[in-house]
Amino acid sequence: MSAPAEAPVLAVHDVRKTFGETTALDGLSFEVRRHEVVGLIGENGAGKSTLLKMLIGLEQPDSGSIALRGEQIKMRGIAQAGAAGIGMVFQEQSLIPNLTVAENILFGAEGDAIVGGMYRWKTLRQRAQAQLDKIGSTIDVDAMAEDLTFAERQLVEIAKVLATEERTNAEPVVLLDEPTSVLDRDEAEVLFAQIERLRTRASVVFVSHRLDEVLQVSDRVYVLRNGSSVAECVPGEVDEAELRRLMIGRDLEGSHYSEERQLPVQDEVRLRVRDLSVKGVCESVDFDLHVGEILGIAGVQGSGREELCRGIFGASATRGSLEMDGRPIRTSSPRSAISSDIGFVPAERRREGMVGTMSVAENITLPHIADVCAGPVLQRSKERRLADDWIERLRIRTASAAAPLASLSGGNQQKAVLARWMVSDSLKLLILDHPTRGLDVGAKSEVYRLIRELTASGVSVLLMADSLEELIAMSHRVLVMKDGRVTDVVDAPVGAKPTPVTVLERMI
Amino acid sequence: MAPARLGQAPPETGRAPARSRRRASLLADYGPLGALVLLCLTFSVLSPQFATWGNLRNVLDSAAVLAVITVGLTFVLMLGAIDLSIEGVMATAALSVALLIANTRNDIDLGFLAIVAAVALGACFGLATGLLSTGLKIPSFMTTLGMSAIGIGIATVLFAGVQPSVTSPAMGEWASGQWFGLTRLTFVAIGVVIVGLLVQHYTRLGRYARAIGGAEDLALLSGIRVRRYKTIAFTFAGAVYGLAGVMVTIQLGSGIVQAGVGQNFAAITAAVVGGTLLSGGRGGVLHSIVGVLIVTVLVNGLVLIGVSPYVQGAVQGVIVVAAVAITAWPLRQRLRVVK
Amino acid sequence: MSVVDKVETTTEQREKLRMPRMSRRQLLLTIMPVAVLVCLVGAISIANPNFLRPASIWTVLDSSVPLLILALGAMLVILCGGIDLSVAALASMASVLVALWVPALEGWAVVLVVLVCALAGLIQGVVHVVAQIPSFLVTLGGLAVWSGIALVVSGAATIGVSGDTLAWTFTRLTGWNIPSAVLIGAAVVAVLGLVMLLTPVRRWLIAIGSNEPAALLAGVPVARTKIGAFIVSGACAGFAGVMLVGRTYSGAPTLADSLLLPVVAAIVVGGTAITGGFGGVGRTVIGVLIITVLRVGLSVAGVDPSYVQIFYGALVIAAVALTIDRSKLLFVK
Repeated sequence: MSAPAEAPVLAVHDVRKTFGETTALDGLSFEVRRHEVVGLIGENGAGKSTLLKMLIGLEQPDSGSIALRGEQIKMRGIAQAGAAGIGMVFQEQSLIPNLTVAENILFGAEGDAIVGGMYRWKTLRQRAQAQLDKIGSTIDVDAMAEDLTFAERQLVEIAKVLATEERTNAEPVVLLDEPTSVLDRDEAEVLFAQIERLRTRASVVFVSHRLDEVLQVSDRVYVLRNGSSVAECVPGEVDEAELRRLMIGRDLEGSHYSEERQLPVQDEVRLRVRDLSVKGVCESVDFDLHVGEILGIAGVQGSGREELCRGIFGASATRGSLEMDGRPIRTSSPRSAISSDIGFVPAERRREGMVGTMSVAENITLPHIADVCAGPVLQRSKERRLADDWIERLRIRTASAAAPLASLSGGNQQKAVLARWMVSDSLKLLILDHPTRGLDVGAKSEVYRLIRELTASGVSVLLMADSLEELIAMSHRVLVMKDGRVTDVVDAPVGAKPTPVTVLERMI
Repeated sequence: MAPARLGQAPPETGRAPARSRRRASLLADYGPLGALVLLCLTFSVLSPQFATWGNLRNVLDSAAVLAVITVGLTFVLMLGAIDLSIEGVMATAALSVALLIANTRNDIDLGFLAIVAAVALGACFGLATGLLSTGLKIPSFMTTLGMSAIGIGIATVLFAGVQPSVTSPAMGEWASGQWFGLTRLTFVAIGVVIVGLLVQHYTRLGRYARAIGGAEDLALLSGIRVRRYKTIAFTFAGAVYGLAGVMVTIQLGSGIVQAGVGQNFAAITAAVVGGTLLSGGRGGVLHSIVGVLIVTVLVNGLVLIGVSPYVQGAVQGVIVVAAVAITAWPLRQRLRVVK
Repeated sequence: MSVVDKVETTTEQREKLRMPRMSRRQLLLTIMPVAVLVCLVGAISIANPNFLRPASIWTVLDSSVPLLILALGAMLVILCGGIDLSVAALASMASVLVALWVPALEGWAVVLVVLVCALAGLIQGVVHVVAQIPSFLVTLGGLAVWSGIALVVSGAATIGVSGDTLAWTFTRLTGWNIPSAVLIGAAVVAVLGLVMLLTPVRRWLIAIGSNEPAALLAGVPVARTKIGAFIVSGACAGFAGVMLVGRTYSGAPTLADSLLLPVVAAIVVGGTAITGGFGGVGRTVIGVLIITVLRVGLSVAGVDPSYVQIFYGALVIAAVALTIDRSKLLFVK
């Protein structure tokens, strides 16, 4: 660890950023010292993403300053940040698939490898190789990026960030955004070794939602909450539980999740899943879902749980058998799943959940339009009554049923999307893919309440949620998935809910 | 900029499972060569005249103009864009070169400069297409559809009801000459192909066009001036179409509005059949040239075995759709959105 | 890292209900075409007062009918986010077929030709949906195929039609002197308009055009609707071909080819977005009227017909630029 007297490499001071009326960053300050690994943790919406984007020039602060090696800097775009010596290894990765590793490493900053618009391939390869040598990688510089494994591509990204060294004649700042989220345990260990190596020639900011990893690799950890840094800790002095408490800042009570309304499960099996596989992502999954049960599915990205649910809904091709109330069903398309009384609320509401330009009423009746038709003729007054009824029952805040759905707030949009399935009396199974994503606390509570009401009327629910806490609190049982297989089923009755750690252990 | 979609390449190239993507790209790389060989073998069996030196020369000579056009188109397709303006650009270039060189309509004779002017005019069309597409954010198939009409309109105005014939003796002599039994225009085409290959492999334009087609969002994030390189690619293509218009005028000895009729679709067919995918970022000049040979051999062979020439277009229509269907088949998914 | 989260919370906290930005755009797209049409008609009637006499109005409307029928069909495909570039070629093919078949089949030739063209649309739709190939490419291929068929069956020649089997498409009804074609056009508008108004079809088309994944996940019959749009587009093209034969007394393999650009121009000028999800029958009628009145206006102004192509090209680009919904294009390809 560096001496305290030394000036920080990167100093963020009192930075503020608002989007509309939301404050994303509220006077955040933090600093990174030379050869230091700084951990950054916080809940979704705590401001991590905004901070990282600001550091690579994708967002500009409204006020406050960012200083690099003692000098105030303003960056517009990744290219400028790179020129200053700050680079990011993206969670979703940023290599161009159909270019070679060498081109990718120096992409947009080829320098003397392009003279007068002409490539000098030899120089390009040599310089790229030099970057790969820095991290001791043996990846072929002529390989196409798309032919590499995920972990290899991540190494190439690190090499790409290190390539800024030569341009700036200074040690770079490397931002790692959730770098382990798609790596398996061994690959993650290799990455940690790489971070140790990186530490000798760069400063590192490590963002992860896995607290144990943050504690393992970081010299210092900043905890972000509501757009500012609420704590600065040194690993060894704090444990995971303490960090989690700092992150959340309050103890969530059961009432937030309407836990008291969790009813005992009926014995009847609603959905029997046997030997279900989705090509390439999940393999022979078996489970039973009972009437009125909420079955949570836990798993990291890449566990195959999203694909499994989409498969059950007919949105991707599956093998295996499904039985609904004892009768075999086939879901060859979302349409056929809907006719088997299954509903689905996708995670990306704007992209997949709703047609924003259409009215609230039109969105609500979209899947069951036959119910408001007489023969082929649409009955608008009937549709209107139905929509008004559900707008009232779910307390959807809208100017009218005819307002475009996009004009509503996120929580109300989500309620309309839920209403679309609830209008059907025969709904048997509702699949919820992160139903509270992007909603504020109040809207979340309402969605939880609606889910509880649904189950009380006998609907069964398959649930995936943003946080384990939410998942466990809401579910009767939690199905744990890892690498496309079910690894465990954990009971979660009221009053005896398992801790997130118990579930987490089986996930990774 | 859309950082939210970072790393999420367009559906054509990105999220498809690696294995099916690789199968698709393998098919795109070697399938066309196999198809060409198979086609040649089939026609050799069906027609005794097919596998002769004379016919081979014939095929190469008749591929010249299409090859030039397809080199230009390849760079546009590489971006993931499309160009439907070829017929218009060629028409304008054909008329303008015929009117600027010694001709039967006026007293202007710029000599070789006329060719330069026609190529420059083609480049202007490309530049306009590029600026409109990138500046006003209009999808290229709409921009180029409009540009094609504008080009044909300008050519019609220039034509003015009287066909200009080229009277330049030097041009006539040069055009009728041969090297190694092939017309000189064929060597021009070979030259253009070589230039195309060099541009594709050794220049920023070539590599960045590939990158933009592969993952435009990432190219933008990396600070690449995407709009500039798109515009340059359209301009380069326009210049090449202009040259093709000149070549047709030299072949015919006069400038006509119909100089490029049928060539746009033939070029798209050639590029796609050769493995330069419409989704961008794949294939290249060499792929496209294999496609040009496939299209030319097909036309030549069908004529030899006595199929009506009117069927040509229809056959191209079927094979282009079939080729795209075959290359895109492994990428099909239930939720894939294709407009 | 995801921007989506951020944006969501932003709208979340903004509790007061605001009208979305889209509606201003939609308002503009509704008012502009009508305003343009009124201005054009005004300008032409000032230049040539005879223009507003019933006789010339009927003539103008009469001449717009083939374009109208083509545009109505093609608009359905554009509404769900695709494009049909084959309509003009299909109408040409229809003209050849009807000219060939009328001697033998009389009036049944019309029915048969419309069915054949609907089948052509069906094929294009199925290839587009099943093989997941972009619609512009499928219909570009279709364009080549239908042109090829027209050339082959006609021997690249114009085929004359004698007799009065098709006279009903191009006559004046006694008394009011109304062109029959205008009534036919009105009937097509009425049928399509009623289907769009009364059935859920319009809603499906718009849902698909606005957000296809969401439409799929909401159980909208996406494949069937898209294929249906192509079938209607094909049938309309076939019927437009018949109408053209009615007025020229002949069918030819390139008879309608020059109509492709005016069709696209009419649709977008009327305010239907080329990106899909916004548009309709009424807008297309306005668009067709604008194009037709413009054509009249250009000749009134004494513009050389050679310039008309240049004009259409520029108009298409300008109209697309004005009506396109850029929020739906992450990348402009």
